[in-house]
Amino acid sequence: MSICFQKVTQTFGSKIVLKEVSFEVPKGKILFILGKSGVGKSVTLKLIVGMLKASSGQVLVDGQDVMQLQDEGLAQVRRKCGMVFQYPALLDSLTLYENLSFGLRPFCTPNPGTILMSEAEIRKTVLEKLSLVHLGPEILELFPHQISYGMQKRISLARTLAPEPHYLLFDEPTTGLDPITTQAVNDLIFDLSRKLKVTSIVVSHDMACALQIADQILVLDEAQIIAQGTVDEIKQSSVPLVQEFLKETLALFPLEENRSSTHDPSP
Amino acid sequence: MNQVFESLKTGQEALCLLFQVLRRIPDRKSWRWSDIFHFIVQMGMESLPIIALSTAFAGIVLTHQVAWHMNQALHDISMVPGFTGQFILRELGIAIPALLFVSKSGAAITAEVGTMKVTEQIDALRLLGIDPIHYLVFPRFIASILSSVSLTLVAIFMTLACSIGVSVFRYHFSWIEFLNALRHFVGPLDLLCAMVKGMVFSSVIPIISCTYGFRCQGGAEGVGNATTQSVVTSSLVIIGLDFLLTSFFLQWL
Amino acid sequence: MTLLHELGAIWLFSLQVFRTFLTTKGNFQPILAQIASISLRTLPTVIFSGIFVGGILVLQLNLILSKYDAQSLLGGLNTSTIIRQVGPLIISFLLAGKIGAFTAAELGTMRVTEQIDAIECLGTHPIQYLIVPRFLGIMVSSLFLLLIGLTFSIVGAMGIAKQSCGINFLQFMGSIPKFTDFWTLTQAIIQSLIYGTIVAAVSCHQGFTAKGGARGVGQAVTRAAVYTNFYIVLANWITNHFLNFFEQIVKSGYLYESSF
Repeated sequence: MSICFQKVTQTFGSKIVLKEVSFEVPKGKILFILGKSGVGKSVTLKLIVGMLKASSGQVLVDGQDVMQLQDEGLAQVRRKCGMVFQYPALLDSLTLYENLSFGLRPFCTPNPGTILMSEAEIRKTVLEKLSLVHLGPEILELFPHQISYGMQKRISLARTLAPEPHYLLFDEPTTGLDPITTQAVNDLIFDLSRKLKVTSIVVSHDMACALQIADQILVLDEAQIIAQGTVDEIKQSSVPLVQEFLKETLALFPLEENRSSTHDPSP
Repeated sequence: MNQVFESLKTGQEALCLLFQVLRRIPDRKSWRWSDIFHFIVQMGMESLPIIALSTAFAGIVLTHQVAWHMNQALHDISMVPGFTGQFILRELGIAIPALLFVSKSGAAITAEVGTMKVTEQIDALRLLGIDPIHYLVFPRFIASILSSVSLTLVAIFMTLACSIGVSVFRYHFSWIEFLNALRHFVGPLDLLCAMVKGMVFSSVIPIISCTYGFRCQGGAEGVGNATTQSVVTSSLVIIGLDFLLTSFFLQWL
Repeated sequence: MTLLHELGAIWLFSLQVFRTFLTTKGNFQPILAQIASISLRTLPTVIFSGIFVGGILVLQLNLILSKYDAQSLLGGLNTSTIIRQVGPLIISFLLAGKIGAFTAAELGTMRVTEQIDAIECLGTHPIQYLIVPRFLGIMVSSLFLLLIGLTFSIVGAMGIAKQSCGINFLQFMGSIPKFTDFWTLTQAIIQSLIYGTIVAAVSCHQGFTAKGGARGVGQAVTRAAVYTNFYIVLANWITNHFLNFFEQIVKSGYLYESSF
């Protein structure tokens, strides 16, 4: 049971964004999809949640082909996959509490089998998720524009966590953040995937983050996968683009330790 | 109360901007004709098809309406040409294109200037030593006034032409009859008043639009809100001015 | 060409909205909230322009009618013109400028900052959650605003008529029944419902499909304003024809009876 791409091709007009791309996401791990800007990294995420239809090929989520699903099935897949957007994407007309509880409301659970939560349960879940992103309950009645961008990002992550997704998809999670917040977001991604045992897919162009927290790295260029493997394998890679990425990153962070190897012996 | 204060502040800002623009008129450097022509083409040509089409339909509908009312009141439709002609030249041919011009060019100006404001392009202009009023507002102001003259003429012509068409085909007037009646009811003074009205409206539009563009704040949301407010304010100001100008012109017509 | 293309897209979009509204179980709370908020926000604008438009019409009509010595008809002609044409048109223009542009801006901002994508990923149907209340809200409040606007422009017209044409209220009202009846008001309501639907469909569609940052939102708003005004003028022409046609059919029955 995982997410699996099988020979997926995606074209926009005459432009080929993905060409027969196949890969599988290992369960409970963090997969980084790296690449230059505009090579179709975000497209992979949109394919998983069915917001784009692939031109050909299959995207399997827990064995179901997303392309074949209609309203009800698609909604179920979407609840399984929590997507964290590049922008915080909080609804500005609602308070943070309303934003956080959005995914738990009846209009988000269309299938009649799901149990509706009482207000007390919703509040409990919201507070629990809020503590996961290291925020306190005092901000709940504020509106999104009243808190800092970094906090909005964290609230957005907590909102995605509220319906308890099995997979977390991050679209450029650290773009436009200062180094300290970037570090905090990276730590969060790492902790969450270990604590909640969720599978994470991170789309990014930040090689430094990838080297820090990734279990698997996948490098996209010109619509195809040009390198794939664990952090160590990628470090040994001889592909020119990967070399270039590594050189830039190591020049910036020469003494950066690979944290996933120090943390790794987790049960 | 807060809202009243806010709109008073906007009015003051708009008047300041108008004053700033007017002060630049004698300055030879302000008249960069290439820019002005560019904006005339952009504003005039973009709004031309929509204004021509809309006023054409307005002319058809007006003629039907007038004929219906005449028939109801006097059981006689012989006065339709004079009545429609006068109404088109005094009101319809000026107000409708002005309102359409607001939603087409006014909204575009606010959106453009507002986007420049929120993406800090206007600050960049200031740092480069370029005066934003001189660079952004002045050419739009002049271009708007100049293009409105031709737009008003086109609108009046289209409305009249369609009105004549309807009178000829539906109500069996001959077009010579129509033009004769027209000559009887409207004179060159009417056309002059129409032009003056059109120019007043079109000088107001870029000023209000730029005022809202300049005070735009806060990303995409700010641009959207500013555009909305600018369209509404311009429309209301035009309706208000229309009333004032109408009652003013009627005294010596 | 673009206008036709756009018309097709808007048509499909509206069908989708209506289908969503009819197939999902109704929750009327958000729709009522939208109606209240839209009506309250547009009310001052409608009242202000209603009074002035009434005034302009009176001045123009008075000028023409005084040439024929037919000033006694001023009230009736003025009221009839306002109810039949000017009222529904001006009010839908204002609705387009105020609410249409606002809706396009709001939805466009939500689109470009990925808020719509986000709520879709949380499992909501964005059309049901965001579009249906706004769409129906605009349609219903257009009727409400029409009635307010008509009342105020007739009152404004009476005021100006007394002030500058020397026609008192009784004279003004006396000639109204000559030109208007219940069917006239029905016509106005039908027209304004159609225009309201146009405003709702175009602005929701433009906002919902906006893309490209602040610039994209600005463009969506501008386009919403222009397209609505254009489609309204077009619809005005079409409805005018159809309504005249219906009026003849409806009235032909009892006209015969009453004339003999």
